[in-house]
Amino acid sequence: MRAWLLRAEEVLRGELWTTRPGALAPLVALAVFCATAYGAMMGTFGGLTGERAFQVLGSALKVPLLLVVTALLSLPSFFVVNTLVGLRDDFREVLRALAASQAGLAIVLLSLAPVTLLWYASSGDYRQAILFNGLIFATASGGAQVVLQRAYARLIARDRKHRGLLRLWLGLYVFVGTEMAWVLRPFIGNPDQPVELFRADSLGNAYVEVGRMIWEQVAR
Amino acid sequence: MIRWFADLDRLLRGEATRPDALRRGTIEVSVPGLLFVSIVLAAVYGVCMGSYALFREGGPSGTQLVASAVKVPALFYLTLVVTFPSLYVSNALVGSRLGPIALLRLVVAAIAVMVAVLASLGPIVAFFSVMTTSYRFVLLLNVVVCAVSGGLGLRFLLNTLQRLSMAELHTGGPVEVEPIDESAAGRPAPSAIEPVKGQVMTRPVRLIFRCWVFLFGVVGAQMAWVLRPFVGDPNQPFTWFRPRQSNFFEAVWHSLLNLFG
Repeated sequence: MRAWLLRAEEVLRGELWTTRPGALAPLVALAVFCATAYGAMMGTFGGLTGERAFQVLGSALKVPLLLVVTALLSLPSFFVVNTLVGLRDDFREVLRALAASQAGLAIVLLSLAPVTLLWYASSGDYRQAILFNGLIFATASGGAQVVLQRAYARLIARDRKHRGLLRLWLGLYVFVGTEMAWVLRPFIGNPDQPVELFRADSLGNAYVEVGRMIWEQVAR
Repeated sequence: MIRWFADLDRLLRGEATRPDALRRGTIEVSVPGLLFVSIVLAAVYGVCMGSYALFREGGPSGTQLVASAVKVPALFYLTLVVTFPSLYVSNALVGSRLGPIALLRLVVAAIAVMVAVLASLGPIVAFFSVMTTSYRFVLLLNVVVCAVSGGLGLRFLLNTLQRLSMAELHTGGPVEVEPIDESAAGRPAPSAIEPVKGQVMTRPVRLIFRCWVFLFGVVGAQMAWVLRPFVGDPNQPFTWFRPRQSNFFEAVWHSLLNLFG
């Protein structure tokens, strides 16, 4: 336990081992563990008893799933583009940088979990809970950015092309992640509705839905 | 078979098209191998594309999946067949020494690069295809993905052509040396899609090659239109081909306008 806490701290500080060979597995493990823990707490909004326990379980599975599957879907094309621009030799280090940023995201999330629980204890408003979690995720993404930029600084110093690729990664990840988050809803679970692992209308498209909402506002 | 994939890997890394590897005036890769690999990868992308039809509203269409898996490789190689004669003629006109075999190798290599990028984007396309009900969104996503991979493949083609003409220069001939590209300076081994420092193509040659790339892109897009449907409109029954009407660019424009409608 203490060793893992130490590791988590080192990820945030950007210690050297996180960029060395063999760092990938512990980084991924950290990311998955912290994301699972935050997910479980995220799902406690509607309570813990009875069938609400399923929401806790569902959220605990969904948050790490969101991080891992999004990364897995974006990696093949990122790999090929890295190869094409001639940065294949750095790819292992790139992979560790990406894993470190995911771990950073999950660690910051978990560190904010008590605040989320306090929020849940103070307000029973479902919409506010969603917005608050949005804020928490945005904060955690900021933390992940810090970790990622630091890990990439070394790579960029070696070859400036990494800067463009970092932007490409962020673009890809956000593009896929947004849809992934949309598909995996609900993360919190509306207490007024029965527990459902996935929304009946989950097979929608985040971009089309949001675009339609904007379009309806503009065209009105 | 692993050797063929290794050939593709050498292409992507830029090892097969390093200026010193092109001394003999051709890319040293096995054409049948690359053909095989690119057909497999194109079929993989076709499956990703066709997966929309499998999960769409109003019943799955497995035939569409099969059709897409067949059509995507066909798209690339039919485009090659349509454009190759004019490519070769213009190439000979501008006085390049590339023979038909070397040229064919080059274009097949470019297609392999395109298809590799395409297949690597396949998981994302499949994810959106399965998860989304909006036909137009999937359509436009596919257009963007194909444009990206086509663009990268054509950049590879253009830069390899430049390197090949540099390799030819060792046999002599008048050249117009251009200023050194700053971004490529200081790197001994340029990647597969970067221009080599010191452009050494004469202007007309470069213009002809640019026209080539443009022709290849436009023919490819229209070929895709002729071979449609790839994704499969959920409101229409499955057909192998649609009637002759309209063109690619008009259709993309309409999809864009109606995305949120």
